[in-house]
Amino acid sequence: MTYLRAKILIIEDDRKMAAALVAGMEPAGYEVATASSAEEGFFLVHTLQPDLLLLDLTLPHRNGLDILKQIRREGIDLLVLILTSHNTVEDRVEGLSSGADDYLGKPFSFPELLARVQALLRRTLPTPALSAIRIGDLEVDTKSKVARRAGARLELTPREFDLLLYLAENEGRTVSREMLAKDVWHESSRFTPIDNVIDVQVARLRKKLDDPYPTKLLQTIRGVGFSLRGPQ
Amino acid sequence: MMRPRKLRTKLTLWYVAVLAVLLVLYIGLVFIFQYTVLTRQIYHDEVQDVETVEGLLYFDQQDGLYLREDYHSHPRSHLLIDRLMEVRDLSGNVLYRSDTLHGASLGGPSLPEEGNGAFNERVVKMADGEHVFLISHLHGMQGRTVLIRLGYSLSLFRDRMEQFFGLLLVALPAGLLLAGFAGYAIAKRALKPMEEMAARAEQITASNLHDRLEVENEDDELGHMARVFNHLLERLEQAFEQLRRFTANAAHELRTPLTSLRAVGEVALQEASTLEDYREAIGSILEETGRLNQTIEGLLLLAKAESAQPGQAQTSFAVPDLVHEVLNLLGVLIEERNVTVFEEYEDDVSLIVHADRSLVRIALINVIHNAIKFSPQGSPLKITYSSDTSHAQVNIHDSGPGITPGNDQLVFERFFTGASPATSVGHGSGLGLSIAKLVLERERGSITFDSAVPHGAKCVIRLPLVVI
Repeated sequence: MTYLRAKILIIEDDRKMAAALVAGMEPAGYEVATASSAEEGFFLVHTLQPDLLLLDLTLPHRNGLDILKQIRREGIDLLVLILTSHNTVEDRVEGLSSGADDYLGKPFSFPELLARVQALLRRTLPTPALSAIRIGDLEVDTKSKVARRAGARLELTPREFDLLLYLAENEGRTVSREMLAKDVWHESSRFTPIDNVIDVQVARLRKKLDDPYPTKLLQTIRGVGFSLRGPQ
Repeated sequence: MMRPRKLRTKLTLWYVAVLAVLLVLYIGLVFIFQYTVLTRQIYHDEVQDVETVEGLLYFDQQDGLYLREDYHSHPRSHLLIDRLMEVRDLSGNVLYRSDTLHGASLGGPSLPEEGNGAFNERVVKMADGEHVFLISHLHGMQGRTVLIRLGYSLSLFRDRMEQFFGLLLVALPAGLLLAGFAGYAIAKRALKPMEEMAARAEQITASNLHDRLEVENEDDELGHMARVFNHLLERLEQAFEQLRRFTANAAHELRTPLTSLRAVGEVALQEASTLEDYREAIGSILEETGRLNQTIEGLLLLAKAESAQPGQAQTSFAVPDLVHEVLNLLGVLIEERNVTVFEEYEDDVSLIVHADRSLVRIALINVIHNAIKFSPQGSPLKITYSSDTSHAQVNIHDSGPGITPGNDQLVFERFFTGASPATSVGHGSGLGLSIAKLVLERERGSITFDSAVPHGAKCVIRLPLVVI
């Protein structure tokens, strides 16, 4: 679902972190550049004209929020996603009101970062909402809220349907438990012990979705999350 | 001007200044009073003297005026010898002058109506510069009227008064100096407990916060200050102790998963040979990171709840609604365990409480999640609602192994996870109940475990009813 090779600039002073980000973003089809200081980052914003900026807030010499404010003052059209370990509600509000498009607290799960980045880039190139998603012999009808596999209707609870729809929308990508908690269960607090609930719910979905069929669509990626993908 | 820095000096200076003003006023008043009294005395003496003299004056045949000198043989007072006297007739001619005047005039020409009917008094300056206190009186004798002027020199009196004034003035600085020293010493003594308190307070640091200031007298101002200070120390000590325990616990809790992370990584690098082994190791590492992350989120939530002002985001809501919401959220777990939830309401009870809904929700999720976790397959979970005048109460009674006697307080300690490995089904972060307790107490509620139940664990949650 990538349209053009979008350019992403990462301003992050921790080299290990920056390297991991590059290693994760490039295979996802992005052109990635990194800067380890505010000055370098600012220079690259002007010369590379990236589509999206991943901005760490705690940089040497200069606060990330300053850069953000300057970018917004100069009226540069650029999506900004803040990555920071300062993730209280107040920090989030300050970041968003300074002109950030999204805010992700460290430590984050990589699938979530990818999903956020894609969502932001999609915002600039809107795609019509699909009325049905097809993955292999699975068909998820978003309007009538019905899922079929090989033509047979799957009897799903509303929660199971939401879960399947979310996985289908993120076809081929891994979704983490945090993403599910936030987007499917709508739990705002990060400290709610519903990982068990998610695991049980996924197991139940799998029983209905995969157990009767020879091709398994729903994969568990240990320690990361779940992924729905069609047969290769 | 340099301002004195020490309270002690300041107090003394004020004290001396006030004393100086008072003493100067006092000296002035004493002097004026004394001067007036003595002047009156002189006047009185002179009037008596005039009357004496009137009886001693006589005209001889040649109209010469004389004073009977024989009176000198028994003088009444030494002042008489210094008596200055002049007698004139009504036309101003001098009829008599005492020898003490040495021919000089006493008071100059007659004034109109001088001494008529009363004793006139005035101070005159003699030709030699001496001041004389003088009284005049008209006196009829032997068919004639004469003006008698009688005066005493004031020089002796004024010398005395000057001496007296000088003496008072000399005493003033000496007295002030003495008072100053005394005041300084008193101030030192009065301020000594404060100095001791300051010295003591100076020695109190984070490491000996349990030290307290000595309170000598509970009721005086210093005692009050010491008590206030001690209360402050007590609160500080509690906060420090909490922080210290928390840091120690957190370090321990973070070290354990870090160790296993490290071990898994090391072993994988040394021993693993297949791709599957590596996947296994990395998956295990990621799971452990997830748990670490949960712990940190829990700690942050605790810190946030601890520092938040209670009562900021309070709303009114019905407890059963929130419980149902939580049961619904945890529904699949309940189904999975085949647990049956029974709910019981006491008749006609109000269960609308006033609290921060999202925080209470977190507390309820933790408690109910725990109850389900410890429930055996197919067992009942009983939830009862009741209320008294001030609080709504929810009891959550599971059929699990219950709480080891004596542990009903310990379970609320941070990082407490049941001692026996058998009960730690899904190993939790050990923060759930601490968070629940903190949150509920912040909201003026409470959470306890009823140790009287024969089997299972019965958690009792109380929340303040909304005030209508």
